[in-house]
Amino acid sequence: METRGRIIRCGAALLSLLLLSLVSRVSALSVTVNDVECIYEYVLYEGDTVSGNFVVVDHDIFWSSDHPGIDFVVTSPQGSTVHTLKGTSGDKFEFKAPRSGMYKFCFHNPYSTPETVSFYIHIGHIPTEHDLAKDEHLDPINVKIAELREALESVTAEQKYLKARDARHRHTNESTRRRVIFYTVGEYCLLGLVSGLQVAYIRRLFSKSVAYNRV
Amino acid sequence: MNMKLGGARRLWTVLLVVAVAAVPAARGLWLELPSTGTKCVSEELHNNVVVLGDYYAFVGEDYDANATSTPTITVKVTSPYGNELYHKEKLSHGQFAFSTTESGNYLACFSLDNDLGKKVTVGIDWKIGIAAKDWDSVAKKEKIEGLELELKKLEESVESIHNNLQYLITREADMREVSEMTNARVAWYSSTSLGICIIVAVLQLWYLRRYFQKKKLI
Repeated sequence: METRGRIIRCGAALLSLLLLSLVSRVSALSVTVNDVECIYEYVLYEGDTVSGNFVVVDHDIFWSSDHPGIDFVVTSPQGSTVHTLKGTSGDKFEFKAPRSGMYKFCFHNPYSTPETVSFYIHIGHIPTEHDLAKDEHLDPINVKIAELREALESVTAEQKYLKARDARHRHTNESTRRRVIFYTVGEYCLLGLVSGLQVAYIRRLFSKSVAYNRV
Repeated sequence: MNMKLGGARRLWTVLLVVAVAAVPAARGLWLELPSTGTKCVSEELHNNVVVLGDYYAFVGEDYDANATSTPTITVKVTSPYGNELYHKEKLSHGQFAFSTTESGNYLACFSLDNDLGKKVTVGIDWKIGIAAKDWDSVAKKEKIEGLELELKKLEESVESIHNNLQYLITREADMREVSEMTNARVAWYSSTSLGICIIVAVLQLWYLRRYFQKKKLI
């Protein structure tokens, strides 16, 4: 009887740990934003920290004033706006979820050219003292492990942000390299052509045909 | 003693119910599928990364596990070189798993098979690297559980952070090479451009002088 109770308690502790590990989730993807693109994520507990970042992957913009960036709006399940970022080409965000439910993360593209946005959303839960008091199988060590896990997730989030920004930087570099080559070759050809035309024109001015003999 | 047993069992059933209820509704992120056309999500991955994806489609705004009408979608996963890694049609939920062999942009595209007239949402649970690892089998194989398993997960997480950092360093080195090469090229091409300008001007003058001398104008 005693061992059976212990086994059941052990199983409950294991299950609660499994549940805790399920709670912190990560989602990192790139999506193309034509006009509005919304991503929904479920927040299990009230007070969870929702953190993340997004970077607009650079496409071939001719002059940078063409596209100042996209808008980012987070809506709570009740419909109120929790977080807003306007006109950026990439940023980090973090907020505490006021209540549990389905949160909507929307990217608004005010211009006609479609943009690709690489984003990362992480919802982290750390068991509070309230949870500790409610569930007798939860040790204070679980809180420490959860905090450690959240710290590691924040490092991973920073890395993903860095990787996305690096990708954008690489795009710019490649574009600069291509531009240097094409514009220089074009410049040389144009120079040769223009000087040839100049010479031909001056020759024509001084040619022996009747009307143009006097210059 | 009997009361304590009953209490523990009740707690276990409550946790089990919560775990089972929480898992499908909270799995992955949700995207709205347009009635026509495809919606694609992509991620840039490097070599030798395990990718595990679960997807499920449903009508409306809330996931109902007992829904009678489930919409069918077409799923296509392509590698950066255009190879099709996964292609399934007329499914409402499924799973794909693959290991990357090339580094680049991996694309997963979803489209509706037929327009139902209602809003269709697709849930995608996209896991790469250690998140895609099957921890249950690892726990069973190495006979570890509870705290030890959690700490092992953290250890793997730290290792993956270290690997990612190494990858970022090599990327930065590549980019720095391209930058420096572009810098050198700009200097070289600009001075060549100036040189060509001067040469062409000298040629022009020489040619015109010769021409006018021939025409006995000078």
